[in-house]
Amino acid sequence: MKSGPRGGLLFLAALVVASLLAPYFAPFAADALDLADRRAAPSLVHWFGTDELGRDVLTRVLVGARVSLAIGVLSALMSAAIGVAVGAVAGYAGRRTDDALMRATDAMLAIPRLPLLMLGAAVLQPGVPMLILLVAAAGWMETARVVRAEVQSLSSLDFVQAARAIGANPVRVIARHIVPGIIPAATVATTLAIGRGILLESTMSFFGVGVQPPTASWGNMLYQAQTAMTSEPWLAIFPGLFIFATVLACNTVGDAIGSSPTQHQSV
Amino acid sequence: MRGLIVRRLLQSIPLLVLISVLVFALLQAVPGGPLSAYLENPNVRPQDIERLRAAMGLDRPLAEQYLSWLSAFVRGDWGYSFADGRPVFDRVLERVPATLELVGASTLLALCIALPVGVLASVHRLFDRISSFGAVAGISLPVFWFGLLLQLVFAITLGWLPSSGRTSFGVSSFADRVAHLILPVMVLAAVQAAAWSRYLRRAMRETVGRPFMNAARVRGVSERGVLLRHALPNALGPFITVVLLDAAMMASGAVVTESVFAWPGVGSLFTESLVKRDYPVLMAFLMFGAVAVMVLNLIADIAVRTIDPRARGAT
Amino acid sequence: MTRLSFLLSRRSTLGLAASFCCTFAACGGDTARSGPSNELLIVGYDREPDTMNRYATHILEDIESCVVEGLVTNDENMQIIPVLAAEIPTTENGGVVVRADGGMDVTWKLRPGVKWHDGVSHTSADVKFTVDAINKGDWKPESVDGFDRISSVDNPDSLTAIVHYKEVYAPYQLQFVRGTLPRHVLEGRDLNTANDYNRAPLGTGPYKVKEWKTGEYILLERAEGYWRGAEYPKIKQLLFRFLTNTTTRINLLKSGEVHMVALVAWDKVRELTAISGLRMNRVVGNGYEHVTLNQRHFTPFAEVKVRQALAHAVDRDLLVRTILDGQVAVVNGPIQPLSPAYEPKVPTYGFDPARARTLLAEAGWVPGADGIRAKNGQRLAFTLITQSGFAIRENVSQALQEAFRDVGAEMTVKLLDGTSISSVWFKGDFDAMLHWWQMGADPELTLFFAGDRMPPAGRNINYINDAELTSLLYRSDRTADVAQRNELLREAQRRIAALAPEIVLYNTAKIDAVPKALKGFTGNPTNAGPFWNVHLWEIGTP
Repeated sequence: MKSGPRGGLLFLAALVVASLLAPYFAPFAADALDLADRRAAPSLVHWFGTDELGRDVLTRVLVGARVSLAIGVLSALMSAAIGVAVGAVAGYAGRRTDDALMRATDAMLAIPRLPLLMLGAAVLQPGVPMLILLVAAAGWMETARVVRAEVQSLSSLDFVQAARAIGANPVRVIARHIVPGIIPAATVATTLAIGRGILLESTMSFFGVGVQPPTASWGNMLYQAQTAMTSEPWLAIFPGLFIFATVLACNTVGDAIGSSPTQHQSV
Repeated sequence: MRGLIVRRLLQSIPLLVLISVLVFALLQAVPGGPLSAYLENPNVRPQDIERLRAAMGLDRPLAEQYLSWLSAFVRGDWGYSFADGRPVFDRVLERVPATLELVGASTLLALCIALPVGVLASVHRLFDRISSFGAVAGISLPVFWFGLLLQLVFAITLGWLPSSGRTSFGVSSFADRVAHLILPVMVLAAVQAAAWSRYLRRAMRETVGRPFMNAARVRGVSERGVLLRHALPNALGPFITVVLLDAAMMASGAVVTESVFAWPGVGSLFTESLVKRDYPVLMAFLMFGAVAVMVLNLIADIAVRTIDPRARGAT
Repeated sequence: MTRLSFLLSRRSTLGLAASFCCTFAACGGDTARSGPSNELLIVGYDREPDTMNRYATHILEDIESCVVEGLVTNDENMQIIPVLAAEIPTTENGGVVVRADGGMDVTWKLRPGVKWHDGVSHTSADVKFTVDAINKGDWKPESVDGFDRISSVDNPDSLTAIVHYKEVYAPYQLQFVRGTLPRHVLEGRDLNTANDYNRAPLGTGPYKVKEWKTGEYILLERAEGYWRGAEYPKIKQLLFRFLTNTTTRINLLKSGEVHMVALVAWDKVRELTAISGLRMNRVVGNGYEHVTLNQRHFTPFAEVKVRQALAHAVDRDLLVRTILDGQVAVVNGPIQPLSPAYEPKVPTYGFDPARARTLLAEAGWVPGADGIRAKNGQRLAFTLITQSGFAIRENVSQALQEAFRDVGAEMTVKLLDGTSISSVWFKGDFDAMLHWWQMGADPELTLFFAGDRMPPAGRNINYINDAELTSLLYRSDRTADVAQRNELLREAQRRIAALAPEIVLYNTAKIDAVPKALKGFTGNPTNAGPFWNVHLWEIGTP
């Protein structure tokens, strides 16, 4: 199991670097049209071929990686923040707050996530920042539950009880004693949420309610490629492979942290 | 047990109200609204649109629209579809069997894969490594992409299976229905089997380490007997809970799978209605989904308490 | 390894399951792929109708028109031809009389011997009932256009309906293109909830609805005793499968699970041409793709030189040759060559970036440091909206972006879904929009170019207000004589081209993928749709 997460991390690091540096080493600009060289099959010049407007698919995959990764990472961080906040408050505070917060969490969990997101995106016609917010808003519940359980068990520990008994500031108690205890669980949840965010973005874009062209994302590249699956399969295969590989890398890493000996009780 | 059910049902009422407000608020923010489809037709004039707005009750205050919708919904009157004027209840209900068929078949297949894989992975190292990778790969698959690839290979290129739909027209054989089911079921089941086998493996591992297992071994029960007669039943309780709770995930997966394979279920009704901005149907879908999830939650609770005696005391 | 033993039996079970799958696969494969025949023709259709009631539906009436016939229809040359009417009323044959009070009387002579599918005769009472049902006001058909100008209908005999208009209404010939409602079935009923009729209408056409399986298909079956003769229609059953997803439609055509698809997207034609046994039937459509320049929202568009410069910046021939795969043709105005009112000699705007730069410079727009022109502190930068999910438009808009940048104008592209975009343009809340107008068979321009027909009163979303043009258009509307009216419309087209209120790109084409063996299929440039002559269709040898 060691090689998996290491490979995953390496892949993610390489992808981030390549997507950030793409403008400097890619031989083509991402939005440069070449109507004379449309739908070219993969070749030495265009490794992944060209699309319907003669744009280089490799360049677009790398530039699209920025959008897809940004949505995955930022939404995961935001949902982690919301989830930790909700979970910590619910776990630490008294019954009534706990009840209210958990009911809200349950309500959100009860609505099927993807349809809710698709509806939200259809209504709001979001740009990328708004899309990040949406994905985050639909993904904090699991973290909240895990964190709440963790906080409850930590709160019952003697030193925390003692700190509360002597009237320590609750914020201080949470920051000092509780937060360090929930970091591992929150990390696992966040890593997995990155992969989920990328999948959600691509699925929404596939239905035409996610990232809108001309901004490239892996999801909308697939959306545009789907009707050409038989004639120009490279248009669909490469972005799809990148989604798959990236999500796989995130999940492998998350899985490795989650099942490491110190952690396997927590999820 | 009865107390639990009653308490849960009571708890679910504010939950449903919360969900309905959320959904209603979301739908109000829709730009264009249900009448914008008419704007594309040069023959429809503004007066016509105003007339239709009044006829559909869209000119009333929001609170009034919400309350009238809610009270009707509770009474089972889910309103009329903007798209074809038929009762929403009928439209949703007629799609349910197709979805049940798809989700049911997928659940069965996923269980058939997850149970043996999960058990075997908990005891066999090499198999565990391979199946772990397979499982992580399974949950990492973009469902729609996987569906398109299967379609491309098995329906278009090889021509072995129909690429979409639920039946061939004019053919009512069982074989034809199964042929149509295979590809979408493979897609839906792949993700579920992956997730469930991982869960079962973990649950089995935790059980195997418990003291009573060693006691069984000491009593001379065979390793196979320990696994199947002692570890598995103990792991099954939490496993069943997870399977039932994943219903919401299946609903999400079904939306994607049903549209890729033109499967005439509730999921494709949702995507069709989204395009048409058919508010009453969309609201009904989300409410229906939420109610279904809550019911399954309740069943999961009851099931756990029935299977696992230790949980009976707890709430 | 001993632990594995208990699982061994599983292997044989799996083997069994696998062989089952293969059996099913073989069966499924055979049954689903029989070719088109005179027994059954399977049509892949892009959407499920909301209703089969022709007056109430807001999508194309392809399926409905196989069941419910109009008094007239448009043929493949856009000519209006009689169907349930015995002839088209005109001023020449005395069918149209302009009254002294400014109103107009149109006399429809119905074809004798036509029966509804239930055997009841089709009469002028049905015409009157249709007008009354629509004008009563408690029903919500999609459109009441024209009907609200009718004051009353007289039935001097069972085959004559005299329609009294309150004013001259030029497109009167298409008033009953959607047919009539059967009085004997619908009288006294609420049409909103008459779902027996709305789901399976009683018609006079070659087919009737046999089954509507929601979400899956509508099956039409040959109607016995069709008025054109017992030999029609030749194909026994028509199956319309609802396949919203373009990819699915194309895949099913490839795998032979559907036999034909109406209205193929232009950029998909190339892919379908390769399928043996299929023929791409192409007719020039009666619409045009263009960039609307909203001069009220983005004021630089109010300068005619800016509009003309942008028009010169676009290499329309290149767009058509590449992105559109040569499936459409460059055109120069809103009325298409098929129309008798078409004017070929209008000012045109060829690809000439140098001329574009000169025009902009003349108008006082000078390039800034970033290459984008500016005037009085305002940059020539605007946003173009277009419909998402429409690959051609997404691609064309990006090509336009590059073309405009080349002459010093910055265009941002924003995609909106179909329903949102309608409400945005209806409010005039946009700078520029890439879209088409599908024109009716009647060449009406007033709605789109008259100075007082900006939304909500009309569709003048260029917000052009030219007194000369407006007056021309209204004069054409009030001219009942077809030749005179066309002359006025030709003058209007010349005026429009000179003003360049919008950038006209190319016409539309209606391309249907049909089996090579299908005889009698012609396609249709109007909204009458390719099924207008479905009674003649026949599967022969290719």
